[in-house]
Amino acid sequence: MQLIISNLTKAYPNGVKAVDGLSLEAGAGMFGLLGPNGAGKSTLMRTIATLQNPDSGSITFNGIDVLNNPMALRRILGYLPQEFGVYPNVSAENLLDYFATLKGVASRAARRKLIEEVLEITNLYEVRKKQVDSYSGGMKQRFGIAQLLLNNPQLIIVDEPTAGLDPAERKRFLNILREVGARNTVIFSTHIVDDVKGLCNEMAIMNGGRILQHTTPAAATAALQGQVWTSTARRAALESMEAKYDVLSSSYHSNDAINVRVQAAERPSPDFTPAEPQLEDVYFMALKKDNLNLNL
Amino acid sequence: MFTTIFRYELRYWLRQPSAYIYAALFFLIATGSMAAQAGIFGERLAVPGLAPLANSPQSIHDMMAFFLKLILFLIPAILGLSIYRDYRSNMHTLLYSYPFTRRSYLPAKFFSSFLILAGIVSTIGIGFVVGARLPWVDPALVGPFQPAAYLQTYLVYILPNILLFGAIVFAVVAFTRNIYAGFITIVLLLLMQVLAGSLLGDEGHRFTMAILDPFGQAASAYYTRYWTFTERNELLLPVQGVVVYNRLLWLGVAALIFGLAYKSFAFHHYGRPVGLKNKAGERSVKNNFGSITKVNLSKVAYDFSFRQHLQNMWALSGFEFKYILRSWLFISILIVGIAMVFFQQAQMNPQFGFKTLPVTWKMLMVPTFMFLGVVHLLTFLYAGMLVHRARIARADQLVDSSPVPNWVFLFSKLIALIRMQVVLLSLIMVGGIMVQLANGYYKLEIGLYVFQLFGLYLPGLIIWAFAALFVQTLFNNPYLGLFLLILGSMGVAGLPELGVDHYVFRYNLAPEFAYSALDGFGATLPPWLLYKTYWMLGGLSLLMGALLLWARGLPFSFSERLKIAKARFQGRTAAASLLFLLSFLGLGLGIYYEDNYGYGKINSAEEEEEWKVENEKRYKRYEHLVQPRITAVNLNMDIFPERRDFKAKGRYTLVNRSAQTIDTLLVNYSYDEETTYHLGKAARLLSSDTFIRLALYVLEPGLAPGDSMKMYFEVWNEPNSLFRTSSPIVYNGTYFNNGVFPGLGYRPIELTDNGKRAQYGLPPRNNERPHPSDSTALSNSYASRDADWIAFEATVSTSEDQIAIAPGYLQKEWVENGRRFFHYKMDSQIKDYYGFNSGRFEVKRDKWEEVGLEIYYHKGHEYNLSSMMKGLKGALAYNTRHFSPYQHKQARIIEFPATVGRFATTFANSIPFSEGHFIADVDSAKKESIDFPFYVSAHEMAHQWWGNQLIPADVLGARMLTESMAEYTALKVLEKEYGKSQMRRFLQLDLDLYLRGRGRESEQERPLMYAELGQDYINYRKGALVFYALSDYLGEEKLNGAIKAYLQKVRFQDAPYTTSIEMLEYIREATPDSLSYLIEDLFETITLYDNRVADVRITPLANGQFQVEIELAISKYRSDGKGKRFFGTETGDSLSYQTESMKTPLLSLPLQDYIEVGIFGEATLDGEPQKVELYLQKHKITRIDYRLTIVVNQKPVEVGVDPYNKLIDVNSQDNRRGI
Repeated sequence: MQLIISNLTKAYPNGVKAVDGLSLEAGAGMFGLLGPNGAGKSTLMRTIATLQNPDSGSITFNGIDVLNNPMALRRILGYLPQEFGVYPNVSAENLLDYFATLKGVASRAARRKLIEEVLEITNLYEVRKKQVDSYSGGMKQRFGIAQLLLNNPQLIIVDEPTAGLDPAERKRFLNILREVGARNTVIFSTHIVDDVKGLCNEMAIMNGGRILQHTTPAAATAALQGQVWTSTARRAALESMEAKYDVLSSSYHSNDAINVRVQAAERPSPDFTPAEPQLEDVYFMALKKDNLNLNL
Repeated sequence: MFTTIFRYELRYWLRQPSAYIYAALFFLIATGSMAAQAGIFGERLAVPGLAPLANSPQSIHDMMAFFLKLILFLIPAILGLSIYRDYRSNMHTLLYSYPFTRRSYLPAKFFSSFLILAGIVSTIGIGFVVGARLPWVDPALVGPFQPAAYLQTYLVYILPNILLFGAIVFAVVAFTRNIYAGFITIVLLLLMQVLAGSLLGDEGHRFTMAILDPFGQAASAYYTRYWTFTERNELLLPVQGVVVYNRLLWLGVAALIFGLAYKSFAFHHYGRPVGLKNKAGERSVKNNFGSITKVNLSKVAYDFSFRQHLQNMWALSGFEFKYILRSWLFISILIVGIAMVFFQQAQMNPQFGFKTLPVTWKMLMVPTFMFLGVVHLLTFLYAGMLVHRARIARADQLVDSSPVPNWVFLFSKLIALIRMQVVLLSLIMVGGIMVQLANGYYKLEIGLYVFQLFGLYLPGLIIWAFAALFVQTLFNNPYLGLFLLILGSMGVAGLPELGVDHYVFRYNLAPEFAYSALDGFGATLPPWLLYKTYWMLGGLSLLMGALLLWARGLPFSFSERLKIAKARFQGRTAAASLLFLLSFLGLGLGIYYEDNYGYGKINSAEEEEEWKVENEKRYKRYEHLVQPRITAVNLNMDIFPERRDFKAKGRYTLVNRSAQTIDTLLVNYSYDEETTYHLGKAARLLSSDTFIRLALYVLEPGLAPGDSMKMYFEVWNEPNSLFRTSSPIVYNGTYFNNGVFPGLGYRPIELTDNGKRAQYGLPPRNNERPHPSDSTALSNSYASRDADWIAFEATVSTSEDQIAIAPGYLQKEWVENGRRFFHYKMDSQIKDYYGFNSGRFEVKRDKWEEVGLEIYYHKGHEYNLSSMMKGLKGALAYNTRHFSPYQHKQARIIEFPATVGRFATTFANSIPFSEGHFIADVDSAKKESIDFPFYVSAHEMAHQWWGNQLIPADVLGARMLTESMAEYTALKVLEKEYGKSQMRRFLQLDLDLYLRGRGRESEQERPLMYAELGQDYINYRKGALVFYALSDYLGEEKLNGAIKAYLQKVRFQDAPYTTSIEMLEYIREATPDSLSYLIEDLFETITLYDNRVADVRITPLANGQFQVEIELAISKYRSDGKGKRFFGTETGDSLSYQTESMKTPLLSLPLQDYIEVGIFGEATLDGEPQKVELYLQKHKITRIDYRLTIVVNQKPVEVGVDPYNKLIDVNSQDNRRGI
């Protein structure tokens, strides 16, 4: 189980380099791809999913040369795009049968059994006769997972799947992914840091078409141990703090004070107390560094 | 808010390249069509000043009607898209929460896109204006620029139609939130239009149709159908009466539909459900707990083998097919489609001809043109829907990342299209069988249905499906793809206009096949199959192109798609593409070469032109060279039906019937057949021209007056090939005439187009036949340039199972070497026109007095034999009694296949008759049904007198003596057999055909006695009306007496041959002075009436009688050859009548006319209510407004002026008036 991406570059006709000389390796398990909107995550995901051709670079998965032999990858690929529609006026059951056919499940009995199982897993069995285009957002995402599972994929690519899901749906969704990811490679893009935490065994932070940091959630937070400090400030003092310190994030407290998190090797001032590093701190740090690089 | 949205929409459209592409295409096609109409590519006219103007209001209107079909499919693409756009981009979820109301949203959307569409279609008019002014057009074909004509067609027809259909489409798209529903609605409306046409297309529903036709075409045709040449060139289209009602009605409907759409439109996230059930809502709460599950899928086999791909392809095609089939719009198309097919088949267009029995080949023929057009449209449309289906549903990323090869997707869509085509085609079969069963016709030829529909039509449809998939794959915009496909399919039909007529250049076209019960598909299938194979290869090449260009994944630029296509071009795909493309090109080249160079005969229009020019240049000088005449023909004709060959051996006896010695002989022979010959007299060959196929001999010594010589010849056809049939022989039911044999002298087959003649350096040609008063033009009869009367003898052989027939009496019949021989000999002289028939015939025999009657017919075609016999007998009886005895001892009718022709013709004692008449459906139970087989038999039998006893000179008016007289005889025979009650219908039909014919005349109409031979609407239709009216005015006995005296004089006469002038002298003599105006009106001029009943008042009298006061409006006028009306013979002598309520006065020629006035009551005859004459009398009428009062004994229900339509009246509908 090894996905190897090397030197991948993709530029759009409008001049934007969505993926810029990107290299990445991912083994079995959940791989979280964290990045802000517009970081190039979706382009990367689509390219891995054989839907787009890069300008240069290569992708291999388990020895399959993805760019030159996309069909081999598609057989073991489960892909859930960020946004997708379904054929109107077709029930979940029938649509899954259609996808199961596409994915090479030849026998009708096998298809039926498989469909029943994925419907159970995604908790859609009750509504299997309903038309998918009438599903709510969460149900539709679950349907997305259901179709993804049909070919028992080894490489699973899910692009920002949790956006817009309610807490219960999100939990359920992540749990299923986690289950699947135990044995396979799951590339999972998100801009929600919490999704990655605890779920992924590997992660990368991406921005501007490049990988800023490739790590594991635990290692990343461990590396910041003793470097994150927190303090509260009034709104008026915030600008001066930002100028003075390496502010990672700031957020309002309920009492109108502002909670500021700062990165520093030593306690920056007596007002600060040490804080337990969070994955979010890692994320902001990486982005910040990237920004500094750009500004230089 | 309206303005903001309106402007925003306009700006959107003005940025769309597709809008400019549509506009540019319209402009180019319009310019091209107008230029073509104005003669930029084609012939220039023979007679200047007689040109049909390309840019006359009527012509602009007609061309616009063609464009309207294209515009219709732009309506969804623009008006529909304008509202669909917001759903497609999901913009509606955002937009509909904005603070604007439907009051600004909908009208702004509608009118902005309407404005854009109006802008696009305005380029058509601009194209017309430009096309008519291009420097290379023929100025004689272009009239002055009339802005009113353009305004009229746009404001009265095009724009209201766009409003109407736009409102419908807009409403449908807004309602369904599906733009394809808009397209299918258009197809549906077109189908309903055809359906309405076949339901209401007959004379009786003309008014209703004119009001109800949503396109408004029937409304304008209501006024223009009899328009003459001049009127079509000069008049603006009428905007009055039904046209106004029609437009108001449909604008009202448009407003109503828009209003309904507006009212039901809701700014909602989801569209309204379409369905009958509306489930009651219930509170639903999903399970929010227990989210940890085990994913433990059972192990199933995944199969990616080729075999499985094939299975998937079929399964996926089912998925796509269901998508097509399961929409209520497609189901509506099926329902309307079957109705259309059914009614077209049930009616079988009896409007201008006769009804035939619902035989299977007719069932297959009748609806195919319209219906196959609809299948094409649906193929184009659904190809786009299927190709772009995943993308439209935004499921493309899921689908495209699945492990399915491109070809499985593409071919599954192709198969789905084919399955749709099969469903649509089977409607023809279902409709046909329904009609057959409904008519009690049980010879269902299921095999023929299946073979023709699925063996012949389906491949053609599949070839279009290939092209449609290619175009729709190539273009990301499916609406543009659809538009281009429609344009393309019209384009291949229209290519000949641009001078490209060879089938190898016209996608999916092939020479048509034809079916006959006698001959099956005959020899028409092989060439058809050849071309279809060729286009199938072309279509497969396109399909491979679609496969290479198939879009997989996210939209890429076109250059990237080409790069991908290049990468895909390898292995089996490359091999198949190359194989199809190369064999397509190779076969095309082969066909083209074979057709143009591998063939000796005159082939193309250019070669024919060259032949005519050379013929005239080299030999015209011999035109008046006196030649001997053929006086006897002796033939051995061998027909080989199974090989479709013939070989004839013959001998002419030539006699010098002139007063001078003939020393130069010109022998001409057929340019289609192979000919050898030799002369039975010493002669020196002066020149032999194998191109013109004419040889010049000097006779040594010359042929003295009265001397005779022999000429021997052999004629056989060039071998038939797969490409082409080179002989007139068919497998069963051969018919051909003596045109294949050699002749004498110069053949005056010349270029008639004076523009072209000038280019070739030829002097202008007068294309008219000589006037009958030209005494130098009477030496040849209309039948032959080579002979006067001939003795005829022939031995005809054919295969053993067939009967062969030639004129004459059968002397002997024998079988030799597996072939059957028939020796025929005629005992009296006949005209130089004879033919041969061969087929597997049954024979019905009968006798009229001493004359033996026979009908040779195809087994199974017994339906109308007794009617035909009656027709033969009727004509024999009538003509023998009134004119002269029959010159032969036998008469026979011989059937030939409908594929050979749809006519009947008359040789001495033999009458070849098309199959169509044998399967005519004569419902003898219905009084109003016309017995056409009877009528045609009587007509053809009458030709034994008119055309075989009497032979006119080859001058203007010749066919008045043959066709008008045969029609007159047949009418009289019909009247004797069926009574006067049938006559009105028949006369009305003749009148209608005459009036339509003169409307379509492209050269000039002539008075009956000076008509050209090809002017059937005069010679047949007007002739029948004229002689029937004359017999009514003079009395049958008196007229026939005059004709008899004339016939006695000219019967079997030699040159100088007789003319219409000579006949008219006899008729004039029999005409009293009071009626002498008739001679002028009926024969010498083009005179028409416009009579009607203006008012009627009935007063019951005390004694039980009824007093009827009638007011008539009588108007008579003359027309010149171009259809211009004249109400006076000299200035100031026309009558005029005007009351205060009339805007313009009624005009008329001076009247001294006798016109019939009738009053009808009702009586029950044979248990049915019938109209009976209470009063019928001719009145002398001298003024336009004519009033009379008549007392009748019974209650009148109808009055009429000229109630039986004996006169030529431009509107026969208003001659009777009910009370």
